[in-house]
Formats: sequence, C-alpha cells, structure tokens
Amino acid sequence: MQWWCSAQGVAWDWTWRPYVGVWILVLLMAAGYTQLVRHGGGWRNAGWRRGSFLTGLGVLWVGLDWPIGALAAGYLASVHMVQFLLVGLVAPVLLLLGVPEPTYERLRGHSTLRRVLTRVTHPLVAIFAFNTILVFTHWPTIVDTLMASQAGSFAIDMLWLFGGTLFWWPLVSPVPARPGFTYPLKLAYLIANTILSTAPFLYLTFSQLPVYATYELAPPVGWITKQQDQQLAGILMKLGGGLVLWTAITVLFFQWYRAEGQP
Amino acid sequence: MVRAYRLVCRSLFLAGLVGSGCGSADSVRESTQDKTDDELRGTRFASPIPRPEFSLIDTEGREFDFYARTDGYATLLFFGYTNCPDVCPVHMANIAAALGRVGWRTRQRVKVVFVTTDPDRDTPERIREWLDRFDSSFIGLHGTTAEVAAIQTELKLARSVMPHDTTGDYDVGHAAQVLAFSPSGPATVAYPFGTRQADWVHDLPLLAKTRGDEVAVQ
Repeated sequence: MQWWCSAQGVAWDWTWRPYVGVWILVLLMAAGYTQLVRHGGGWRNAGWRRGSFLTGLGVLWVGLDWPIGALAAGYLASVHMVQFLLVGLVAPVLLLLGVPEPTYERLRGHSTLRRVLTRVTHPLVAIFAFNTILVFTHWPTIVDTLMASQAGSFAIDMLWLFGGTLFWWPLVSPVPARPGFTYPLKLAYLIANTILSTAPFLYLTFSQLPVYATYELAPPVGWITKQQDQQLAGILMKLGGGLVLWTAITVLFFQWYRAEGQP
Repeated sequence: MVRAYRLVCRSLFLAGLVGSGCGSADSVRESTQDKTDDELRGTRFASPIPRPEFSLIDTEGREFDFYARTDGYATLLFFGYTNCPDVCPVHMANIAAALGRVGWRTRQRVKVVFVTTDPDRDTPERIREWLDRFDSSFIGLHGTTAEVAAIQTELKLARSVMPHDTTGDYDVGHAAQVLAFSPSGPATVAYPFGTRQADWVHDLPLLAKTRGDEVAVQ
C-alpha cells in the first residue's frame, strides 16, 4: 500500500486506493485548526472563516487523494496541472482566509516570528519564491525524478502548498501590517503573476515534443495523446490559474472601491 | 528555425519563468549523454540480426512476405498485443507521433510492422482497428502462436507467455523492444521501452538513410 501518490508505471484502472499519508495530513490540519479556533473564541466566533478553512481543507484533500492525486502523479500532465492549481493556488488562500483573527493577533505579539514573517512574506520575496517553486516543480528533470517516489511526490505537493501560502500571505494576512502595500500595489502583484504564468503556458502548450518522461511513458488513460495531454496542461495552467487570480483581482478591486467610497 | 525556437524557450527558461528547455531535448540529452548527435540512440546488438524471412497474414487477410515487402525500407518490427495496457500502446503512439514530426522523405522510407502475440483475441480486424488509432500506415500481422514463436526465436527475442488468471482474462508477457532493420538488411539496434519521441525523431532519419553495414561498423 502506498502512503502518498507516486508514479507506478502500471496500467490505470478506476479501483479506489487509500493514501494514508494524505488522510493524516488532512486530519492533522483539521486538529490544528480546532485548537486555533478553541483559543480564538470558539466555533461560533469563527464565522465565515470556519467555512473558508474547511473548504480549503476539502480542496486540498481532493487535490491530493485518489483519483486526482494518483492520476496526477503518474498518468496525465493535465491532471498534474489541476492538482497544482488546487494544492498550490486555491487551497492556500482558502486556508489562510480561514485562520481566526485572534490567531493573527497572537502572531503580532510574537516578535521573532513577526520579524521572520516580515521578511519572508514581503510581496517581492513572496512572488519570487512562488514562481521559483513553480519553475522548480515543473522542471522536467525534477518532475521525472521526484514523481517516481512517494517521498519525492510528497515533497512537490508540500512545496506547492508552501509556495501558495507565501504567495497569498501578503494579500490575506493582517500580520505583519503593510500599510504601504496598497490596493493598487496588491492588484499589480496579482496581475504580475498572471503575466509570469504565461511563459510556462507557452512552453507546455507549444513544445513540439512531450517534456515529461513520466507522462510520455505512462500507461495511456483514454485516447488523449501525450501531446494533447501536455497542451491541455498548459492551457489549464493559463486558464485555471487566470481564473483564480482574476477572481482575486475582482474581489480586491471591489474592496478598494468600497474603501474609497467610505467617508 | 528549430534552433531559434530552442533559443527563445531557453531564454525564457533562464529568465526563471519556465520549467525547462524546449521539447524534451534536455531529458533526451540525459538519457543519451554518451552518444554523439549523429549516432543512433537505440541499444546496439553485439552482432547484427539478419532480416528474417517469414510470411504472416496482414489485416486485409492477405499473405505478407516480410522480407520482400520491407526490403529497402527502414523497418521497425514489434511484437505485442492490442489488449496490452502499457508497453505496446506507448511504443506505437510514440513512433506514430515521431513519424508525424520527421520529414516526408524519411516517412516514405520507414515501415512499422506490428505482429500480434495474442492471436486468439487479436483478429486481423481488431489489429487494424487498434493500429488505425495510431497510424493507418502501420502494418499489422497475424499468425499462429507457433509461427510467431518461431520468428521470435529466430530474432533472439523472448517468446511470449500467456499466464491466464482465474477469470479467463490474461495478459501476454512479451519482448518490450522494437527491432529496427536498416533499409538494406539487418537489425543492428533495438529500442527498449522508455524510448521517447525525441529519440525516435532523432533516429528515424538516420535509420532511413543508413545501410546495414554502415550501422554495423559504428
């Protein structure tokens, strides 16, 4: 039995398989969140944040567990991209939005941690780190090496989660306070990322040959060709990532509009 | 043009925006680090295997004389079966995709021959339908288990085995390599499972123009 999804090289079938490592991660995060809520005034006070966190946890679970996790690890580059969007982009923002206000407040009082966060979650550092992780975890040699083992596949998934958390932190978290990171700059931050993601999209979509041995040599799933699968992955990266980022841009724009309208 | 394309991709890559070099060039270089660009990337035989002389039934129901019909062409010969879940469809798909990338002249000088190792389930019609999903120019051949076993033995390939399970369904164990015969005769190189489209795109033009003796002396 596998504890985490990895490329197996065996023919795909739709028989459900348990991935215990994914369940443990989800349970640990749920337990940790319960503690945060308990120290933050209880479930009733958590309000909409509770829903956001649970949705984020659900997205993470769906992205890592069977069938998406298994298909992504060793069969289809397009599903691998869906997994990246879920684990590296959608789940982190929902999880961060779900953190109770008192938890963020407690961070404010912790001087060492606050200093680290101030540096690590600086918007320039965050966007650089996110895109570096994006490049690293989509580099063919890295993918082909790491996806073959459970530990490697786990490392990629955790890097995505970490990178996504860093990326969304300056936009979502009130700690550290960044009064200079105004709405126009936040919008520019998100728009810059939509532009940066164009390059991987072009690369995957217009490469003349399959770039990942893992997916090129994987037992076929359906009749999608390896080239079509890779092109779909590129398109999903652009459209799916764009959908998430432009949704965030729209929300921020209207928040800015409302803030400007207030006396 | 291809160089310019690669240059653009690599520039983007170095700018930290993309994942890797163009196509699978980088990964191919890894798998063939010790080979020069004008050398075949397949696995060489210690001694060339002569082009076999056999006749089987093609997907039109006609007798197909392998030696006579493929002489003068670079010929890729593969033994597999249409219910194969992994090796066979990957090989066929990668060869078909590569043939779509090489020039017309090369394509005209290459024949791909698929011999079923599962004659009970693979009827000529079934083989044709399956091959057409990859490339309608691929030649499918059907013979008895004994006939196919004799050809595999002559080619020094492992004979196919069919371990049946309790449900009556079965997989067929078979050699996973594609034998490549030069236009003028013998096979000096084989392509194991794991051969990538980039390897085929590189090697097909070389195979199409090499004579057997040239390949053999390298």
